[in-house]
Amino acid sequence: MLAISGLCKSYGALRVLDGVDFTVQPGQILGLVGSNGAGKTTVISIAAGLRTADAGTVLMGPGREATVDVLGHPRRAARLLGLAPQELGVYPMLTVEQNLMTFGQLAGFAAPRARVRAREIAETLGLEKDLAKSASTLSGGQARRLHTGMALMHRPPVLFLDEPTVGADVPARRSILGAVRSLAAEGAAIVYTTHYLSELVDLAADVAILDRGRIAFLDTVAGLLARYARPSVGVVTAGVRPDLPGWSAVARGADVGDVRWEPDPHLLATCSATELVAGALKRLGGDTRLVGIDISPPSIESAFLEITGRALTVDDVHGNEEATDACVA
Amino acid sequence: MRASRKWAIAQTSFRILAKDPAPIIVMIAMPLILAAFLKPAMTAQLRAQGFEGANGAAQVIPGLAVMFAFLSTQVATMLFFREHYWGTWERLRAAGASGSDIMVGKAVPLFIVLFSQVTAVFVAGYALFDFRINGSVVALAVLGAGLVAAVLSYAILCVSVFATLDQAMVVGNLGGMLMAGIGGALAPAATMPGWAQAIAHFTPTYWGLRGVQDVTLAGAGLGDIGVPLASLAFFSVVCAVVAGLRFKPTEVKIGTT
Repeated sequence: MLAISGLCKSYGALRVLDGVDFTVQPGQILGLVGSNGAGKTTVISIAAGLRTADAGTVLMGPGREATVDVLGHPRRAARLLGLAPQELGVYPMLTVEQNLMTFGQLAGFAAPRARVRAREIAETLGLEKDLAKSASTLSGGQARRLHTGMALMHRPPVLFLDEPTVGADVPARRSILGAVRSLAAEGAAIVYTTHYLSELVDLAADVAILDRGRIAFLDTVAGLLARYARPSVGVVTAGVRPDLPGWSAVARGADVGDVRWEPDPHLLATCSATELVAGALKRLGGDTRLVGIDISPPSIESAFLEITGRALTVDDVHGNEEATDACVA
Repeated sequence: MRASRKWAIAQTSFRILAKDPAPIIVMIAMPLILAAFLKPAMTAQLRAQGFEGANGAAQVIPGLAVMFAFLSTQVATMLFFREHYWGTWERLRAAGASGSDIMVGKAVPLFIVLFSQVTAVFVAGYALFDFRINGSVVALAVLGAGLVAAVLSYAILCVSVFATLDQAMVVGNLGGMLMAGIGGALAPAATMPGWAQAIAHFTPTYWGLRGVQDVTLAGAGLGDIGVPLASLAFFSVVCAVVAGLRFKPTEVKIGTT
């Protein structure tokens, strides 16, 4: 189990973390997401004992009790955690097996046990035929799998995977996600950062959105979709620009002269996609030509943008009751 | 647990050094190539200093062995800085390795490799250039170990002080060359200007060479090399203490040129 409470960190005048709190239970995968620079890697670095915090606590333990103080005893905590950092970290001159064994032996495994475990990890990640290969000869996806595998060697009860699928091809990503699911099924508490939000759906992960140094949202993917996800609605026109109240021309269409229109966030929050499109179509005059319509279902990305982009606030929703009337106006 | 971490890092470091032996091979070959050219001139110089019947190898082989041992600081600095370049430094730390685990885990294989390098130059000098050892071979081995300890502690000092591989290598090589030159690796210290002879006493190369020549030329034994050995030890301890005070495992370093 991992319990993070009140974590604060500043770099000079820049406050990166401003009271981060979350817990991860054994068997739980927590997707820690946020924009670039939101502080995800800082959270992981502190929780893994690599950086100090200005304030807060990080506790972890092998079961449902978090008793080891990571900030006070980082080396004691090292036995409990596995870390695959964002940047690839492998020894290119060593073989896959030697890379894996190094981290098994660092965890105290004798060489024969480390070798057996290295083979298990290689099989899990689809690298069993590459054990004797030098890491420098691996493809990007294979190297990413090896990088992740090195963090799993000692079966850590708490695992930090910082964007483990960056640069990974489809098979590599599938292997890594499969391994993450297996580890969670075995009882590991996993913190998983990614910019590919669909991976959180694949992993059945819970979601913590880090924004402006705080956890702005913490719930299941279903909860996130239900509360914040909006469909994407667009209408592309040519000719005379139509009068569409509550819609904005956001970009050109595919051809010169085409204009793409999208409903403003408060309309999206209060109207269905079909209502919006029907309303827009009714307002197109004879000199305006309809080029295209697209409606995409609510996505986790749209929910993320909703929270981090501050495109919609609670006040916006409740302060625009009249918007409902505009849906088909 | 701590010992197993040191051992794991040492094993990995050994493997890395073994996979890329070219720098060490060059550091063994270069002194031998240069010795072929410099030996006749040094023979004359030693005889002019009163070592009748002396063989120039007595100056050239230890001098060049010491100089190239100090130039091998780059092998040591690279072994540390590459961990940053490869992204494995943070991983070692996340696996619970402390600064001292990493230091010891790298220093031990480096010591063995550099000691082997110096030994190989002496052995090849004996076989190819008639480099003679009039005194105790054990004393020579102990001096070699003291010399390698000085090289290694100087390299670790460079690793601790500098933030980039370029800085560490440039200063490491420059300092190594200076110490080698002033210490008498290229020409006997007695033939150098007075100011250089005065400074020479503050270099580990001078004491290392003096000790080696005491053994090879004057036939010294283990009991006769106390002063050179103590001087080498003093230099090593000073470098190690400063490195220890300056070394921060959390420091971000640029591991590529």
